[in-house]
Amino acid sequence: MKAVAIVVAALAFGVLPYLTSSNYILGIAVSAAIYTVAAAALNLIYGYTGLLSFAQLGFWGIGGYATALTVVTFGGTFWLGLLWAGLLNAALALIVGYPTLRVGRHAFVIVTLTFALLVTLVARDWVDLTRGPLGIPGLPAPSLFGVELKTTAHFYWLAWAYALLALGFLYALGTSRIGRTLVAIKQNEPLVRAQGIAPMPYKLTAFAISAAITGIAGGIFAFHLKVIDPLFLDFYYMQTFLIMVIIGGAGSFWGVVVAGIALSALPEVLRFSSDFRMIIYGVVLLVIMLVMPGGFAGWIRQRRVARMRAALR
Amino acid sequence: MTALLEIRDLRKSFAGVHAVDGVSFTVKQGSITGLIGPNGSGKSTTIDCIAGFQKADSGRIVLAGTDISGRSAHQIARAGLMRTFQTVRVYENLALRDNLTIAAQQFDDATWSDELFRTRRYRRAAAAAEARARELIELVGLARYFDAEAGILSYGQKKLLALAAALMPRPHIVVLDEPVAGVNPTRIRDVEDVLRKLNAGGETFLIVEHNVEFITNLCHHVIVLDQGRKLAEGTAAAIHTDPRVLEAYLGMTPEMAEAELRGAA
Repeated sequence: MKAVAIVVAALAFGVLPYLTSSNYILGIAVSAAIYTVAAAALNLIYGYTGLLSFAQLGFWGIGGYATALTVVTFGGTFWLGLLWAGLLNAALALIVGYPTLRVGRHAFVIVTLTFALLVTLVARDWVDLTRGPLGIPGLPAPSLFGVELKTTAHFYWLAWAYALLALGFLYALGTSRIGRTLVAIKQNEPLVRAQGIAPMPYKLTAFAISAAITGIAGGIFAFHLKVIDPLFLDFYYMQTFLIMVIIGGAGSFWGVVVAGIALSALPEVLRFSSDFRMIIYGVVLLVIMLVMPGGFAGWIRQRRVARMRAALR
Repeated sequence: MTALLEIRDLRKSFAGVHAVDGVSFTVKQGSITGLIGPNGSGKSTTIDCIAGFQKADSGRIVLAGTDISGRSAHQIARAGLMRTFQTVRVYENLALRDNLTIAAQQFDDATWSDELFRTRRYRRAAAAAEARARELIELVGLARYFDAEAGILSYGQKKLLALAAALMPRPHIVVLDEPVAGVNPTRIRDVEDVLRKLNAGGETFLIVEHNVEFITNLCHHVIVLDQGRKLAEGTAAAIHTDPRVLEAYLGMTPEMAEAELRGAA
Protein backbone atom coordinates (compact mmCIF):
# COMPACT_ATOMS: atom_id res chain seq x y z
CA MET A 1 0.00 0.00 0.00
CA LYS A 2 2.71 2.40 1.04
CA ALA A 3 4.83 1.33 -1.92
CA VAL A 4 1.95 1.97 -4.32
CA ALA A 5 1.39 5.44 -2.85
CA ILE A 6 5.07 6.26 -3.29
CA VAL A 7 5.14 5.11 -6.91
CA VAL A 8 1.97 7.08 -7.69
CA ALA A 9 3.42 10.21 -6.05
CA ALA A 10 6.71 9.79 -7.92
CA LEU A 11 4.93 9.39 -11.25
CA ALA A 12 2.64 12.33 -10.48
CA PHE A 13 5.63 14.66 -10.58
CA GLY A 14 5.91 13.74 -14.28
CA VAL A 15 2.76 15.69 -15.20
CA LEU A 16 4.12 18.99 -13.89
CA PRO A 17 4.82 20.42 -17.38
CA TYR A 18 1.12 19.93 -18.22
CA LEU A 19 0.09 21.92 -15.16
CA THR A 20 2.28 24.91 -15.82
CA SER A 21 3.90 26.40 -18.88
CA SER A 22 6.03 28.69 -16.75
CA ASN A 23 9.69 28.07 -17.52
CA TYR A 24 10.50 29.75 -14.24
CA ILE A 25 8.64 27.10 -12.24
CA LEU A 26 9.91 24.26 -14.42
CA GLY A 27 13.45 25.58 -14.03
CA ILE A 28 13.11 25.46 -10.26
CA ALA A 29 11.70 21.95 -10.59
CA VAL A 30 14.75 20.86 -12.62
CA SER A 31 17.02 22.27 -9.92
CA ALA A 32 14.95 20.57 -7.22
CA ALA A 33 15.19 17.16 -8.92
CA ILE A 34 18.92 17.45 -9.61
CA TYR A 35 19.84 18.92 -6.21
CA THR A 36 17.79 16.26 -4.45
CA VAL A 37 19.67 13.52 -6.25
CA ALA A 38 23.03 15.11 -5.42
CA ALA A 39 21.93 15.51 -1.79
CA ALA A 40 20.77 11.87 -1.66
CA ALA A 41 24.16 10.82 -3.04
CA LEU A 42 25.90 12.87 -0.34
CA ASN A 43 23.54 11.27 2.17
CA LEU A 44 24.82 7.84 1.13
CA ILE A 45 28.42 8.65 1.99
CA TYR A 46 27.84 11.13 4.82
CA GLY A 47 24.45 10.24 6.27
CA TYR A 48 24.71 6.48 6.06
CA THR A 49 28.44 5.83 6.19
CA GLY A 50 29.42 8.80 8.35
CA LEU A 51 32.12 10.07 6.00
CA LEU A 52 31.79 13.79 5.36
CA SER A 53 32.80 14.24 1.74
CA PHE A 54 33.37 17.69 0.29
CA ALA A 55 34.51 15.95 -2.89
CA GLN A 56 30.88 15.97 -4.03
CA LEU A 57 31.46 19.47 -5.35
CA GLY A 58 34.40 18.18 -7.37
CA PHE A 59 32.37 15.24 -8.71
CA TRP A 60 29.56 17.62 -9.62
CA GLY A 61 31.99 19.83 -11.54
CA ILE A 62 33.84 16.95 -13.18
CA GLY A 63 30.48 15.50 -14.22
CA GLY A 64 29.48 18.80 -15.80
CA TYR A 65 32.81 19.29 -17.56
CA ALA A 66 33.14 15.65 -18.66
CA THR A 67 29.73 15.75 -20.29
CA ALA A 68 30.30 19.15 -21.89
CA LEU A 69 33.77 18.26 -23.19
CA THR A 70 32.60 14.91 -24.55
CA VAL A 71 30.05 16.75 -26.65
CA VAL A 72 31.90 19.95 -27.56
CA THR A 73 35.54 18.89 -27.78
CA PHE A 74 35.39 15.19 -28.56
CA GLY A 75 32.22 15.18 -30.66
CA GLY A 76 30.42 12.49 -28.66
CA THR A 77 26.77 12.45 -27.70
CA PHE A 78 25.33 13.88 -24.50
CA TRP A 79 24.54 10.35 -23.31
CA LEU A 80 28.09 9.20 -23.86
CA GLY A 81 29.13 12.29 -21.90
CA LEU A 82 26.94 11.26 -18.98
CA LEU A 83 28.44 7.78 -19.09
CA TRP A 84 31.91 9.29 -18.90
CA ALA A 85 30.79 11.57 -16.09
CA GLY A 86 29.71 8.52 -14.08
CA LEU A 87 32.69 6.29 -14.86
CA LEU A 88 35.35 8.96 -14.45
CA ASN A 89 33.94 10.01 -11.09
CA ALA A 90 33.64 6.45 -9.82
CA ALA A 91 37.26 5.81 -10.78
CA LEU A 92 38.45 9.05 -9.15
CA ALA A 93 36.50 8.20 -6.00
CA LEU A 94 38.31 4.87 -5.76
CA ILE A 95 41.70 6.48 -6.37
CA VAL A 96 41.14 9.27 -3.82
CA GLY A 97 39.19 7.08 -1.40
CA TYR A 98 41.47 4.08 -1.05
CA PRO A 99 44.54 5.75 0.49
CA THR A 100 42.48 8.34 2.38
CA LEU A 101 40.06 5.94 4.01
CA ARG A 102 42.97 3.92 5.33
CA VAL A 103 44.01 6.93 7.38
CA GLY A 104 40.73 7.91 8.98
CA ARG A 105 37.59 9.98 8.98
CA HIS A 106 39.22 13.34 9.65
CA ALA A 107 41.79 12.83 6.93
CA PHE A 108 38.93 11.97 4.61
CA VAL A 109 37.19 15.30 5.25
CA ILE A 110 40.37 17.26 4.59
CA VAL A 111 41.44 15.33 1.51
CA THR A 112 37.99 15.52 -0.08
CA LEU A 113 37.90 19.27 0.55
CA THR A 114 41.31 19.60 -1.07
CA PHE A 115 40.11 17.49 -3.98
CA ALA A 116 37.17 19.84 -4.56
CA LEU A 117 39.46 22.88 -4.48
CA LEU A 118 41.86 21.15 -6.86
CA VAL A 119 39.07 20.49 -9.35
CA THR A 120 38.18 24.19 -9.20
CA LEU A 121 41.79 25.08 -9.96
CA VAL A 122 41.89 22.73 -12.92
CA ALA A 123 38.63 24.15 -14.27
CA ARG A 124 40.01 27.66 -14.06
CA ASP A 125 43.66 27.19 -14.99
CA TRP A 126 43.89 24.28 -17.43
CA VAL A 127 42.77 26.58 -20.17
CA ASP A 128 43.63 24.18 -23.04
CA LEU A 129 41.17 21.63 -21.76
CA THR A 130 38.46 23.57 -19.97
CA ARG A 131 38.81 26.94 -21.74
CA GLY A 132 39.47 28.54 -18.37
CA PRO A 133 37.35 31.27 -16.79
CA LEU A 134 35.49 31.93 -20.05
CA GLY A 135 33.95 28.48 -19.85
CA ILE A 136 32.06 26.71 -22.59
CA PRO A 137 28.89 28.57 -23.60
CA GLY A 138 26.16 27.36 -25.92
CA LEU A 139 26.02 23.70 -24.95
CA PRO A 140 23.80 22.08 -27.60
CA ALA A 141 20.47 20.50 -26.77
CA PRO A 142 20.85 16.73 -26.38
CA SER A 143 18.71 14.55 -28.60
CA LEU A 144 16.84 11.45 -27.60
CA PHE A 145 15.47 9.13 -30.32
CA GLY A 146 15.60 12.01 -32.77
CA VAL A 147 13.82 14.45 -30.47
CA GLU A 148 15.84 17.49 -29.47
CA LEU A 149 15.53 18.18 -25.75
CA LYS A 150 15.53 21.94 -26.05
CA THR A 151 12.65 23.19 -23.95
CA THR A 152 12.71 23.47 -20.19
CA ALA A 153 9.86 20.94 -20.06
CA HIS A 154 12.05 18.42 -21.88
CA PHE A 155 14.80 19.00 -19.40
CA TYR A 156 12.37 18.66 -16.58
CA TRP A 157 11.38 15.21 -17.82
CA LEU A 158 15.02 14.25 -18.19
CA ALA A 159 15.84 15.43 -14.67
CA TRP A 160 12.69 13.78 -13.29
CA ALA A 161 13.46 10.45 -14.98
CA TYR A 162 17.04 10.54 -13.72
CA ALA A 163 15.87 11.43 -10.23
CA LEU A 164 13.47 8.46 -10.19
CA LEU A 165 16.20 6.14 -11.38
CA ALA A 166 18.90 7.40 -9.04
CA LEU A 167 16.66 7.74 -5.99
CA GLY A 168 15.12 4.32 -6.66
CA PHE A 169 18.59 2.81 -6.75
CA LEU A 170 19.69 4.63 -3.60
CA TYR A 171 16.52 3.54 -1.84
CA ALA A 172 17.07 -0.12 -2.78
CA LEU A 173 20.68 0.18 -1.66
CA GLY A 174 19.84 1.96 1.59
CA THR A 175 17.20 -0.54 2.65
CA SER A 176 19.31 -3.58 1.74
CA ARG A 177 21.75 -5.19 4.12
CA ILE A 178 24.46 -3.15 2.39
CA GLY A 179 22.72 0.03 3.54
CA ARG A 180 22.39 -1.29 7.06
CA THR A 181 26.04 -2.28 7.06
CA LEU A 182 27.00 1.27 6.04
CA VAL A 183 25.02 2.58 9.02
CA ALA A 184 26.69 -0.02 11.21
CA ILE A 185 30.11 1.16 10.01
CA LYS A 186 29.20 4.72 10.94
CA GLN A 187 28.01 3.70 14.38
CA ASN A 188 30.67 1.24 15.44
CA GLU A 189 33.45 0.29 13.11
CA PRO A 190 35.37 -2.04 15.47
CA LEU A 191 32.17 -4.03 16.04
CA VAL A 192 31.66 -4.33 12.29
CA ARG A 193 35.15 -5.78 11.98
CA ALA A 194 34.52 -8.13 14.88
CA GLN A 195 31.51 -9.43 12.97
CA GLY A 196 33.53 -10.52 9.98
CA ILE A 197 32.91 -7.50 7.78
CA ALA A 198 35.80 -5.64 6.15
CA PRO A 199 34.66 -1.99 6.17
CA MET A 200 36.88 -0.78 3.30
CA PRO A 201 34.99 -2.32 0.33
CA TYR A 202 31.73 -0.95 1.73
CA LYS A 203 33.12 2.55 2.21
CA LEU A 204 34.75 2.60 -1.22
CA THR A 205 31.61 1.34 -2.92
CA ALA A 206 29.46 3.95 -1.19
CA PHE A 207 31.93 6.68 -2.16
CA ALA A 208 32.16 5.56 -5.79
CA ILE A 209 28.38 5.25 -6.20
CA SER A 210 27.90 8.62 -4.58
CA ALA A 211 30.51 10.13 -6.93
CA ALA A 212 29.00 8.62 -10.09
CA ILE A 213 25.45 9.70 -9.24
CA THR A 214 26.60 13.24 -8.40
CA GLY A 215 28.64 13.44 -11.59
CA ILE A 216 25.74 12.46 -13.84
CA ALA A 217 23.53 14.96 -12.01
CA GLY A 218 26.17 17.62 -12.73
CA GLY A 219 26.24 16.64 -16.40
CA ILE A 220 22.48 17.03 -16.79
CA PHE A 221 22.48 20.31 -14.88
CA ALA A 222 25.25 21.81 -17.02
CA PHE A 223 23.22 21.15 -20.18
CA HIS A 224 20.16 22.59 -18.50
CA LEU A 225 22.15 25.79 -17.89
CA LYS A 226 23.56 25.47 -21.44
CA VAL A 227 26.89 26.80 -20.21
CA ILE A 228 29.68 25.56 -18.00
CA ASP A 229 32.43 27.64 -16.46
CA PRO A 230 34.38 27.56 -13.18
CA LEU A 231 31.36 29.03 -11.40
CA PHE A 232 29.80 25.60 -11.79
CA LEU A 233 32.18 24.67 -8.95
CA ASP A 234 30.98 27.45 -6.69
CA PHE A 235 30.81 26.36 -3.07
CA TYR A 236 27.15 27.32 -3.17
CA TYR A 237 26.34 23.88 -4.63
CA MET A 238 28.19 21.95 -1.92
CA GLN A 239 26.52 24.07 0.71
CA THR A 240 23.11 23.41 -0.82
CA PHE A 241 23.59 19.64 -0.86
CA LEU A 242 24.93 19.64 2.68
CA ILE A 243 22.07 21.78 4.02
CA MET A 244 19.57 19.42 2.42
CA VAL A 245 21.18 16.42 4.09
CA ILE A 246 21.49 18.07 7.50
CA ILE A 247 18.01 19.59 7.55
CA GLY A 248 16.44 16.43 6.18
CA GLY A 249 18.29 14.28 8.68
CA ALA A 250 21.60 12.62 7.82
CA GLY A 251 21.02 8.93 7.23
CA SER A 252 17.34 9.21 6.38
CA PHE A 253 16.40 8.61 2.75
CA TRP A 254 12.96 10.23 2.92
CA GLY A 255 14.11 13.06 5.14
CA VAL A 256 16.69 14.12 2.57
CA VAL A 257 14.30 13.73 -0.39
CA VAL A 258 11.66 15.88 1.30
CA ALA A 259 14.26 18.46 2.39
CA GLY A 260 15.72 18.49 -1.13
CA ILE A 261 12.39 19.41 -2.68
CA ALA A 262 11.32 21.78 0.11
CA LEU A 263 14.62 23.66 0.31
CA SER A 264 14.77 24.07 -3.47
CA ALA A 265 11.37 25.75 -3.36
CA LEU A 266 11.83 27.75 -0.16
CA PRO A 267 14.11 30.57 -1.44
CA GLU A 268 11.72 31.02 -4.38
CA VAL A 269 8.63 31.11 -2.19
CA LEU A 270 10.33 33.86 -0.21
CA ARG A 271 10.68 36.06 -3.28
CA PHE A 272 7.70 38.15 -2.11
CA SER A 273 10.28 40.00 -0.06
CA SER A 274 13.29 40.36 -2.31
CA ASP A 275 15.23 42.47 0.21
CA PHE A 276 14.94 40.06 3.09
CA ARG A 277 14.58 36.79 1.22
CA MET A 278 17.98 35.29 2.05
CA ILE A 279 17.82 36.61 5.61
CA ILE A 280 14.49 34.86 6.15
CA TYR A 281 15.92 31.73 4.53
CA GLY A 282 18.85 31.86 6.94
CA VAL A 283 16.58 32.35 9.93
CA VAL A 284 14.40 29.42 8.87
CA LEU A 285 17.48 27.16 8.61
CA LEU A 286 18.70 28.39 11.99
CA VAL A 287 15.39 27.74 13.71
CA ILE A 288 15.13 24.26 12.19
CA MET A 289 18.62 23.43 13.44
CA LEU A 290 17.79 24.72 16.93
CA VAL A 291 14.52 22.79 17.17
CA MET A 292 15.66 19.69 15.32
CA PRO A 293 19.42 19.20 15.68
CA GLY A 294 19.13 15.75 14.08
CA GLY A 295 17.26 17.16 11.12
CA PHE A 296 13.65 16.52 10.30
CA ALA A 297 14.04 12.73 10.25
CA GLY A 298 16.10 12.81 13.44
CA TRP A 299 13.33 14.70 15.17
CA ILE A 300 10.72 12.12 14.13
CA ARG A 301 13.03 9.31 15.21
CA GLN A 302 13.56 10.90 18.62
CA ARG A 303 9.85 11.12 19.20
CA ARG A 304 9.44 7.48 18.22
CA VAL A 305 12.20 6.37 20.59
CA ALA A 306 10.69 8.45 23.39
CA ARG A 307 7.31 6.80 22.83
CA MET A 308 8.94 3.37 22.82
CA ARG A 309 10.77 4.15 26.07
CA ALA A 310 7.53 5.29 27.67
CA ALA A 311 5.72 2.15 26.46
CA LEU A 312 8.38 -0.15 27.87
CA ARG A 313 8.39 1.50 31.26
CA MET B 1 38.01 -32.90 24.85
CA THR B 2 40.23 -31.60 22.08
CA ALA B 3 41.96 -28.24 21.90
CA LEU B 4 39.84 -25.76 19.93
CA LEU B 5 42.01 -22.70 20.37
CA GLU B 6 45.71 -22.94 20.87
CA ILE B 7 47.95 -20.00 21.74
CA ARG B 8 51.67 -20.59 21.51
CA ASP B 9 54.31 -18.20 22.82
CA LEU B 10 52.35 -15.03 22.09
CA ARG B 11 54.36 -11.81 22.43
CA LYS B 12 53.46 -8.18 22.09
CA SER B 13 55.32 -5.12 23.31
CA PHE B 14 54.59 -1.42 23.21
CA ALA B 15 57.63 0.86 23.12
CA GLY B 16 59.73 -1.66 25.00
CA VAL B 17 57.07 -2.66 27.53
CA HIS B 18 56.32 -6.35 27.23
CA ALA B 19 52.54 -6.34 27.53
CA VAL B 20 52.35 -9.98 26.56
CA ASP B 21 55.57 -11.86 27.13
CA GLY B 22 55.37 -15.41 25.82
CA VAL B 23 51.90 -16.59 26.77
CA SER B 24 50.77 -20.10 25.81
CA PHE B 25 47.51 -21.84 26.63
CA THR B 26 44.75 -23.87 25.04
CA VAL B 27 40.99 -23.67 25.18
CA LYS B 28 39.28 -27.03 24.97
CA GLN B 29 36.28 -27.68 22.79
CA GLY B 30 33.09 -27.23 24.80
CA SER B 31 34.77 -25.61 27.79
CA ILE B 32 34.38 -22.31 29.57
CA THR B 33 37.89 -21.06 30.09
CA GLY B 34 38.66 -18.04 32.22
CA LEU B 35 41.52 -15.62 31.72
CA ILE B 36 42.18 -13.53 34.82
CA GLY B 37 44.89 -11.32 36.18
CA PRO B 38 45.41 -7.95 37.84
CA ASN B 39 45.16 -4.71 35.87
CA GLY B 40 47.96 -4.41 33.35
CA SER B 41 48.66 -8.13 33.35
CA GLY B 42 48.12 -8.33 29.60
CA LYS B 43 44.67 -9.95 29.42
CA SER B 44 43.14 -7.39 27.09
CA THR B 45 46.20 -7.28 24.86
CA THR B 46 46.19 -11.07 24.70
CA ILE B 47 42.62 -11.29 23.45
CA ASP B 48 43.07 -8.29 21.16
CA CYS B 49 45.94 -10.18 19.55
CA ILE B 50 43.91 -13.39 19.34
CA ALA B 51 40.97 -11.59 17.72
CA GLY B 52 43.20 -9.68 15.31
CA PHE B 53 42.56 -6.23 16.77
CA GLN B 54 46.26 -5.90 17.46
CA LYS B 55 49.10 -7.54 15.57
CA ALA B 56 51.17 -9.80 17.80
CA ASP B 57 54.93 -9.43 17.48
CA SER B 58 55.30 -13.19 17.42
CA GLY B 59 53.57 -16.39 18.41
CA ARG B 60 51.04 -18.69 16.85
CA ILE B 61 47.28 -18.82 17.18
CA VAL B 62 45.53 -21.94 15.93
CA LEU B 63 41.75 -22.11 15.75
CA ALA B 64 40.16 -25.50 15.06
CA GLY B 65 43.30 -26.68 13.29
CA THR B 66 43.73 -23.53 11.20
CA ASP B 67 46.59 -21.14 11.81
CA ILE B 68 44.99 -17.70 12.12
CA SER B 69 48.07 -15.79 13.32
CA GLY B 70 48.53 -12.47 11.58
CA ARG B 71 45.06 -12.41 10.04
CA SER B 72 42.95 -9.29 10.33
CA ALA B 73 39.97 -9.01 12.64
CA HIS B 74 37.26 -9.66 10.07
CA GLN B 75 39.07 -12.71 8.70
CA ILE B 76 39.38 -14.18 12.18
CA ALA B 77 35.67 -13.60 12.77
CA ARG B 78 34.92 -15.43 9.54
CA ALA B 79 37.19 -18.27 10.64
CA GLY B 80 34.81 -18.74 13.59
CA LEU B 81 36.11 -16.67 16.47
CA MET B 82 33.70 -13.97 17.63
CA ARG B 83 34.46 -11.49 20.38
CA THR B 84 32.69 -8.95 22.54
CA PHE B 85 34.19 -5.77 23.94
CA GLN B 86 35.01 -4.61 27.44
CA THR B 87 33.17 -1.33 26.93
CA VAL B 88 30.03 -2.70 25.39
CA ARG B 89 29.63 -2.20 21.65
CA VAL B 90 26.24 -2.43 19.96
CA TYR B 91 24.68 -0.44 17.11
CA GLU B 92 22.81 2.07 19.26
CA ASN B 93 20.56 3.44 16.53
CA LEU B 94 19.61 0.12 15.00
CA ALA B 95 16.86 -2.22 16.14
CA LEU B 96 17.93 -5.30 18.08
CA ARG B 97 16.78 -7.31 15.08
CA ASP B 98 19.28 -5.49 12.83
CA ASN B 99 22.00 -5.64 15.45
CA LEU B 100 21.74 -9.40 15.25
CA THR B 101 21.18 -9.95 11.54
CA ILE B 102 24.16 -7.77 10.59
CA ALA B 103 26.33 -10.01 12.74
CA ALA B 104 25.40 -13.04 10.63
CA GLN B 105 25.36 -11.64 7.13
CA GLN B 106 28.96 -12.40 6.22
CA PHE B 107 28.27 -16.05 6.76
CA ASP B 108 25.53 -16.78 4.24
CA ASP B 109 25.73 -17.14 0.47
CA ALA B 110 23.75 -14.03 -0.57
CA THR B 111 25.88 -11.71 -2.72
CA TRP B 112 25.61 -7.95 -3.11
CA SER B 113 23.53 -8.26 -6.26
CA ASP B 114 21.23 -10.72 -4.47
CA GLU B 115 20.69 -8.06 -1.84
CA LEU B 116 20.12 -5.23 -4.27
CA PHE B 117 17.56 -7.16 -6.33
CA ARG B 118 16.04 -8.99 -3.36
CA THR B 119 16.48 -12.38 -5.00
CA ARG B 120 15.10 -15.58 -3.52
CA ARG B 121 18.54 -16.45 -2.19
CA TYR B 122 18.65 -13.14 -0.35
CA ARG B 123 15.17 -13.61 1.10
CA ARG B 124 16.01 -17.12 2.23
CA ALA B 125 19.23 -15.95 3.90
CA ALA B 126 17.41 -13.03 5.53
CA ALA B 127 14.65 -15.31 6.83
CA ALA B 128 17.19 -17.73 8.28
CA ALA B 129 19.05 -14.89 9.99
CA GLU B 130 15.81 -13.53 11.38
CA ALA B 131 14.83 -16.93 12.80
CA ARG B 132 18.23 -17.31 14.43
CA ALA B 133 17.98 -13.76 15.80
CA ARG B 134 14.62 -14.49 17.41
CA GLU B 135 15.91 -17.69 18.95
CA LEU B 136 18.93 -15.93 20.49
CA ILE B 137 17.01 -12.90 21.67
CA GLU B 138 14.63 -15.25 23.50
CA LEU B 139 17.58 -17.00 25.06
CA VAL B 140 19.12 -13.84 26.48
CA GLY B 141 15.69 -12.65 27.60
CA LEU B 142 15.36 -9.50 25.50
CA ALA B 143 12.54 -10.72 23.24
CA ARG B 144 10.23 -7.84 24.01
CA TYR B 145 12.77 -5.31 22.75
CA PHE B 146 13.30 -7.10 19.43
CA ASP B 147 12.07 -4.19 17.30
CA ALA B 148 13.29 -1.44 19.61
CA GLU B 149 16.53 0.44 19.08
CA ALA B 150 19.47 -0.89 21.05
CA GLY B 151 20.03 2.57 22.54
CA ILE B 152 17.10 2.15 24.92
CA LEU B 153 18.65 -0.87 26.65
CA SER B 154 20.45 -0.71 29.97
CA TYR B 155 24.18 -1.37 30.08
CA GLY B 156 23.72 -4.95 31.24
CA GLN B 157 21.11 -5.62 28.59
CA LYS B 158 23.47 -4.30 25.94
CA LYS B 159 26.07 -6.81 27.13
CA LEU B 160 23.52 -9.57 26.64
CA LEU B 161 22.70 -8.22 23.18
CA ALA B 162 26.41 -8.17 22.32
CA LEU B 163 26.64 -11.78 23.48
CA ALA B 164 23.67 -12.77 21.31
CA ALA B 165 25.21 -10.97 18.32
CA ALA B 166 28.47 -12.83 18.81
CA LEU B 167 26.57 -16.13 18.71
CA MET B 168 24.63 -15.31 15.55
CA PRO B 169 26.98 -16.94 13.01
CA ARG B 170 27.38 -20.13 15.14
CA PRO B 171 31.08 -19.51 15.78
CA HIS B 172 33.53 -22.12 17.04
CA ILE B 173 34.34 -19.97 20.04
CA VAL B 174 33.17 -16.75 21.64
CA VAL B 175 35.69 -14.57 23.46
CA LEU B 176 34.01 -12.40 26.08
CA ASP B 177 35.91 -9.35 27.29
CA GLU B 178 34.63 -8.60 30.80
CA PRO B 179 31.02 -9.68 30.22
CA VAL B 180 29.82 -8.54 33.65
CA ALA B 181 31.98 -5.45 34.27
CA GLY B 182 29.62 -2.58 35.00
CA VAL B 183 26.62 -4.88 35.09
CA ASN B 184 24.15 -4.58 37.94
CA PRO B 185 25.10 -7.33 40.49
CA THR B 186 21.60 -8.79 40.47
CA ARG B 187 21.93 -9.22 36.72
CA ILE B 188 25.22 -11.09 36.90
CA ARG B 189 23.38 -14.27 37.82
CA ASP B 190 21.33 -13.94 34.65
CA VAL B 191 24.46 -13.72 32.55
CA GLU B 192 25.85 -16.77 34.33
CA ASP B 193 22.69 -18.74 33.63
CA VAL B 194 22.68 -17.77 29.96
CA LEU B 195 26.33 -18.74 29.52
CA ARG B 196 25.84 -22.04 31.33
CA LYS B 197 22.83 -22.86 29.17
CA LEU B 198 24.76 -22.04 26.00
CA ASN B 199 27.72 -24.08 27.15
CA ALA B 200 25.44 -27.04 27.83
CA GLY B 201 24.39 -26.66 24.19
CA GLY B 202 28.01 -27.05 23.12
CA GLU B 203 29.29 -23.46 22.89
CA THR B 204 32.90 -22.80 23.84
CA PHE B 205 33.81 -19.62 25.71
CA LEU B 206 36.99 -17.83 26.63
CA ILE B 207 36.18 -15.23 29.27
CA VAL B 208 38.31 -12.36 30.52
CA GLU B 209 36.89 -11.04 33.75
CA HIS B 210 37.78 -9.26 36.98
CA ASN B 211 34.86 -10.68 38.92
CA VAL B 212 36.45 -13.68 40.65
CA GLU B 213 33.18 -15.07 41.92
CA PHE B 214 31.76 -15.06 38.40
CA ILE B 215 34.82 -16.87 37.03
CA THR B 216 34.80 -19.35 39.91
CA ASN B 217 31.16 -20.21 39.39
CA LEU B 218 31.42 -20.64 35.68
CA CYS B 219 34.83 -21.73 34.45
CA HIS B 220 36.11 -25.26 34.04
CA HIS B 221 39.62 -24.04 33.60
CA VAL B 222 41.29 -20.79 34.63
CA ILE B 223 44.47 -19.17 33.35
CA VAL B 224 46.12 -16.49 35.45
CA LEU B 225 48.28 -13.82 33.85
CA ASP B 226 50.63 -11.48 35.65
CA GLN B 227 52.93 -8.93 34.03
CA GLY B 228 52.43 -10.43 30.61
CA ARG B 229 53.26 -13.98 31.65
CA LYS B 230 51.20 -16.98 32.57
CA LEU B 231 51.41 -17.30 36.33
CA ALA B 232 49.31 -20.40 36.85
CA GLU B 233 46.49 -22.43 35.40
CA GLY B 234 44.12 -25.09 36.59
CA THR B 235 40.64 -25.52 37.97
CA ALA B 236 39.06 -22.57 39.72
CA ALA B 237 39.51 -24.35 43.07
CA ALA B 238 43.20 -25.00 42.46
CA ILE B 239 43.77 -21.38 41.45
CA HIS B 240 42.19 -20.13 44.64
CA THR B 241 44.68 -21.87 46.82
CA ASP B 242 47.75 -21.16 44.69
CA PRO B 243 49.84 -18.80 46.83
CA ARG B 244 51.48 -17.16 43.80
CA VAL B 245 48.09 -16.24 42.43
CA LEU B 246 46.84 -14.88 45.71
CA GLU B 247 50.00 -12.87 46.10
CA ALA B 248 49.94 -11.38 42.61
CA TYR B 249 46.30 -11.09 41.89
CA LEU B 250 44.51 -10.63 45.14
CA GLY B 251 47.42 -9.25 47.10
CA MET B 252 46.49 -11.34 50.16
CA THR B 253 47.41 -14.46 52.00
CA PRO B 254 45.46 -17.73 51.59
CA GLU B 255 43.77 -17.17 54.95
CA MET B 256 42.48 -13.75 53.94
CA ALA B 257 41.28 -15.14 50.62
CA GLU B 258 39.48 -17.95 52.40
CA ALA B 259 37.64 -15.45 54.55
CA GLU B 260 36.84 -13.37 51.49
CA LEU B 261 35.40 -16.32 49.63
CA ARG B 262 33.33 -17.41 52.60
CA GLY B 263 31.96 -13.93 52.76
CA ALA B 264 31.04 -13.97 49.11
CA ALA B 265 29.35 -17.36 49.21
